[in-house]
This record gives sequence, C-alpha cells and structure tokens, in this order.
Amino acid sequence: MQSPAEETLVERARRGDAAAFEELVLAYQTIAFRVAFVIAGDAADAEEAAQDAFVKAYRALGRFRTGEPFRPWLLTIVANEARNRRRARGRRLALVLRVAPEPGAAGEDPETAALAAERRERLLGALEELREDDRDVLACRYFLDLSEEETAATLGIARGTVKSRTHRALARLQEELR
Amino acid sequence: MTPVEIELRDLASHLDVPPTPPLVGAVRGRLARRRRRRRVLAVGMAACVVMLAVALAVPVSRASLLRFFHVRGATVTFVDRLPPLTPRLPLGEPIAPDEASFRLLLPSGRRPTGVYAGDGGYWLRYPGLLLFEFRSDIGYPILKKAALGTDVEHVEVRGEPGIWIGSRHAVFLPGGPPRAAGHVLIWQRGSLTLRLEAAVGRERALAIARGVR
Repeated sequence: MQSPAEETLVERARRGDAAAFEELVLAYQTIAFRVAFVIAGDAADAEEAAQDAFVKAYRALGRFRTGEPFRPWLLTIVANEARNRRRARGRRLALVLRVAPEPGAAGEDPETAALAAERRERLLGALEELREDDRDVLACRYFLDLSEEETAATLGIARGTVKSRTHRALARLQEELR
Repeated sequence: MTPVEIELRDLASHLDVPPTPPLVGAVRGRLARRRRRRRVLAVGMAACVVMLAVALAVPVSRASLLRFFHVRGATVTFVDRLPPLTPRLPLGEPIAPDEASFRLLLPSGRRPTGVYAGDGGYWLRYPGLLLFEFRSDIGYPILKKAALGTDVEHVEVRGEPGIWIGSRHAVFLPGGPPRAAGHVLIWQRGSLTLRLEAAVGRERALAIARGVR
C-alpha cells in the first residue's frame, strides 16, 4: 500500500508538479543508487542509471497505478537501467564490491578481527562464484534489505523464483564456506 | 535466520558502497531540458505540419512526397512487410523481335534468346538476365514494394533517371499478382522505361544498362 503522503506526491507529480517529483527523488535516491550500484557494478554507471530511471519514471507516471506502492515500481525501472549498463559493459559484480577497510575496532581482539575479516573475504569470494541471477537475488535481499516482493519487482521475476533462487544460492554458499 | 544469512547481513555492513551522489539537481536539470526540448519540438512539429499541408496542397509536390522513389512508369514504395509473393509466371506470348510495336532496345545490340509480349510491354530473355521494356509515356506504371531497410537508390543511366533495388522486393505489374524480384535496375530511355533483372551488382547492372541500344 502507498502512504497517503506519497500518494499525494505522486498525484501532484503526475499533474506536472516538478517540486513534488523532486521530493520523491529525494526520498528514494539512496535506495535507487544502491540498487543500481549493486547491479551495474560501477559508481558512475549507477549514478547515470539512477538518473535515467528517475527521468523515465517521471515520463511514465501516467501509467503508474494509483494506490500501488511507488518504491518497487521505481526500483524496477532502476534495475532495468542498471542491467542494461551491466550487459553493455559485460561487467561482473565481483570487480567492484570490495570489503571496506576495517577500522581499528576498539576492544576487539586483533586475532578475532583478522579471522572475521578473512571469513568475509571468503564469503565475498563465494558470492562471486555464484550465477549472476542468484547473486542479484542475494544482493537485493541481504545487502539492500529489500523484501521478497520488492526483490521480485526489482528483478522482474516471480516471488516464487526469488524464494527458489535464494534457497539455491544460500545452499551453495553454505557448501563453499564449509 | 541461518548462519549464512547472518554472515551475509554482516558482510553488507562491511561493503564499500560509494556514497549516494545528489540526484535531485541532476534530475531537475534533465527534466527542465526535456520540457524546453518538448516546447521547441512542439513548435517545430507545428511548423512541419503547416509546411506539409502546403506541400500536399500542390499535386506535383504531393506525388513526390508520397512516392519515395519514382521514375516515369515505375514507383517504389516502402512497406513494413512484403505481401505474399507468387513465383514467376510465364512471361507472355512468344513473338519475333520485329513484331513489337516499337523498336526494342538490346543490351550491346545482342539478340535475345526469346521475346515475349505481356504485362503491357515486352520481355527479352538472355542467359542470366531479363529485360522488360514498355512505353512509359502511355503505358501503365509498374509498382514495386520494398521492405523497409531494402537497398534502394536513385541512379542515372546516360543522363536519364533510374532506380537501383539491391535486394528482394515485390513487383506489381499491371493486372497481375505480386511477384518476387531480386536485383533490379529501372531506368528511363526516351519514351520507354526499361527494367533489368539479373543476379549482378549495381555497377555491373549500370554497365549493361549503359550498353543498351
């Protein structure tokens, strides 16, 4: 369901109110950029994809069904733009996702911290070996914190497919990390 | 939540995801440019509609606008998809060359292996080459339909206009069903229009056409 405030903004934007649409961009720019980054695998491409997606969303507002949630609808457009760029560049997710440098965690035993960092590296390596479809589903679910429904809308697949891909990918990761 | 899921959540907080760039200003700028473009486009479109209306009001201009490629007696129009085509039909009634109602023009002056009267003109058969000649100043026009993207271009043969069609298309001869045709050169020569069909390229076809006498 769409919140009343969001519904009002969408309606105003649909009638050509640019300020209302800017409020929607402000509200969703972070998730839009992160989805685009995870899929496109490059910050510049992600920024371009998110921008294009907002422009396309504005043009497509007439087709948006009132009362439907705006976020999954927008993320579908973002993911499409990002996928097109990934296809065009033949880029893999693995090339850009990097483990952030570990700050000197206060109070943490250096040996435990090193083991945890190593474990994360292994997990990231195992993720890189997954099929692209499976990796996208895990990224949406666990990195972007999207619901199953939003993941399905974003990736343009059925909710059942999200479940089966998640299940398959987690089993594969578990096996790799054993 | 399984241990792997917990590890994935933990990994998410350690990923080096770049900070979100400010998108509002960029999107605003692009939408404003788009609105300006649309205004310019609307004005341009309105001007085009007026010019088109003026052009279509003049019959000669109308013909040239609506017919993409035209020489006297033959027009090539473009369609999304070719109609169903029949295989080549018999060329017509065999006749002796001197029975034709006008003097037939021959490639390099060579005699054909057969001459047939039909389709409002005369078919001249040569090995690997078919020539059709008709009085375009009084005859019915040939209509050709080519699929969009077909290689069609205006050419000149000894100073007179012609059309080269470099791929498969449909030919409508007067009163007949559409037939398939391949490489074809059509050109005007005096009161006649000639149509040469042969499995040759543009340059060879033009050389043959220039040698017709």
